[in-house]
Amino acid sequence: MRPSRVVEAVLFASQTPLSAAELARAGEDLDEDAVEAAVAELRAEYEREGRAFGVFEVAGGWQILTRPEFAPVLERFDSVPANPRLSAPALETLAIVAYRQPVGRAEIEEIRGVGSGGVLKTLQERELVEVVGRGEGLGRPLLYGTTRRFLEHFGFRSTEDLPRPEELPVVLSRRNEDGRQDGAQAG
Amino acid sequence: MLQALPAAPQEQPDLYQVDLERFQGPLDLLLHLIRNQDVDIFDIPIARITQQFLAAIERVDRLELERAGEFLEMAAILVRIKAQMLFPRRTEDGEEEDPRAELVRRLLEYEHFREAAGHLEAAERERARRWTRGWVEVRPAPPLADAPLETGWDEVWDAVLRLAARDAEPPPGYRFGGRPVRMDEKMELVLAALQESRRVEFAALVSPWGTRMHAVVSLLACLELAKRSQVRVRQAAPFAPLWVYRRRAEEG
Repeated sequence: MRPSRVVEAVLFASQTPLSAAELARAGEDLDEDAVEAAVAELRAEYEREGRAFGVFEVAGGWQILTRPEFAPVLERFDSVPANPRLSAPALETLAIVAYRQPVGRAEIEEIRGVGSGGVLKTLQERELVEVVGRGEGLGRPLLYGTTRRFLEHFGFRSTEDLPRPEELPVVLSRRNEDGRQDGAQAG
Repeated sequence: MLQALPAAPQEQPDLYQVDLERFQGPLDLLLHLIRNQDVDIFDIPIARITQQFLAAIERVDRLELERAGEFLEMAAILVRIKAQMLFPRRTEDGEEEDPRAELVRRLLEYEHFREAAGHLEAAERERARRWTRGWVEVRPAPPLADAPLETGWDEVWDAVLRLAARDAEPPPGYRFGGRPVRMDEKMELVLAALQESRRVEFAALVSPWGTRMHAVVSLLACLELAKRSQVRVRQAAPFAPLWVYRRRAEEG
C-alpha cells in the first residue's frame, strides 16, 4: 500500500486532527517524514483534481475538511449540523485565556470587569479551556489555559496562529507584563 | 429657527440612550460611551461620561445583584475620579498625576482583548465554513437515567386508551369544594384492601373516586405506609402499573 493511501484512509476515518506521530502509527514502514510527504502528495492530488475537500493543518495535525466554498451547499442540509458558535462573553474570556495563559480567574475578571466563573465553567465543559496549574498567592488559585480542542474549534494550527498582541489595533502600552502578577493574587 | 430645537446642544449628551442589557459589563458600557461619541480616550471628559454612565445604569436594580454590583462599583470609581479631577494631586517629583490614568489603562486593556475576541470570532466563522466527515456536535450526555429507553406504538396506544377510558374531571370552573381527602383515611383504606388480597393495583385503589386529589393522596398514603414498612410498592418499569403489596409480619 502506498503511504499516501494509508494516510488518506486514516485521515478519512478520523473525526479529529491527527499529528504526524499519530499518523505514523498507521503503517510499519511509516515515519513522520514519510507522513509529511504523504500529506503533501494528497494535498497536491486533491488540489489537482479539484476535490470538494482538502487536507487542512489544524491543532498541530491534519484533518480532512470540506473546502470553504462548499459551505452554502452544506448549510442547506439539516443533517449536517453546523458548529455551534460561542457567545460574546465566551469569546472575550477565551481571548484573555489564550493570550495570558496560564491565567487565573481573578485576572480575567479584573480585565473584563465582570464575574466570569460561569463563562469559564462553560468553556471548561466544552473543553476549550482547562486547568493547567495553580498560581502563587492566597488560596493558590487555579490557572487556566487553552486546549487542543480550542485550536480545532478555531481551525488554528497552534497558538502561534493567533494574531500577535502587537498586531491588534489597540496596542497595550507598558504594564502589559504586570498582568501575570495580578492573576496570581487572590482567587 | 433656533427656538425650534427641542434641547440646547450641550444638553444633548444627557439624553444619550443606551440599552443596558446589550452590555456585558461596566467596561463595555463605558467603552461604548467613549467610542461612540468620538471622545479621546486619553482625555476623557469625566463629568459628562460619569453623568451618562449614571443615567444608563438607573435601570440597574432590574438586573440581578451581581451585575448591579459591577456597574455600581464602576460608578463609584467614576465619581471618585471626578472628585479627584477638581483637586489635582502632585507626586513627589512635582508631576501632576492624572486620576484617569488607571481607568484609561483598564479600558485600553479591555478593548485590546475585545479586538482579540473579534479575531477569534472571525477565525471561528472561517472554520465553520469547513466540515469534517460526519461531524457530530460534542455535547454532554443528558441525565436520562430513569426515563424509559424504548417504547412501542402499542404501549403508547395503551396509554391513550387508558386516558380516554378515565372519566374526565369536570372543568375547574364548575367544581364544588369537596371534602378534603385525608391521608390517614387513605392509609386505612390501603391496609383494608390488603387484608383481602396479598396485592392490589394502585389504579384499583384510586378508581372509585377518580379525581386527581384522591390519586395524589392515595399515592402519598402508599409511600407513607412503605416508609413505615407496612407495605411494599413495586413497579416493573417506568409508567408500568404500580402494585401495592402486603408486607408479611416476619419481614419486620
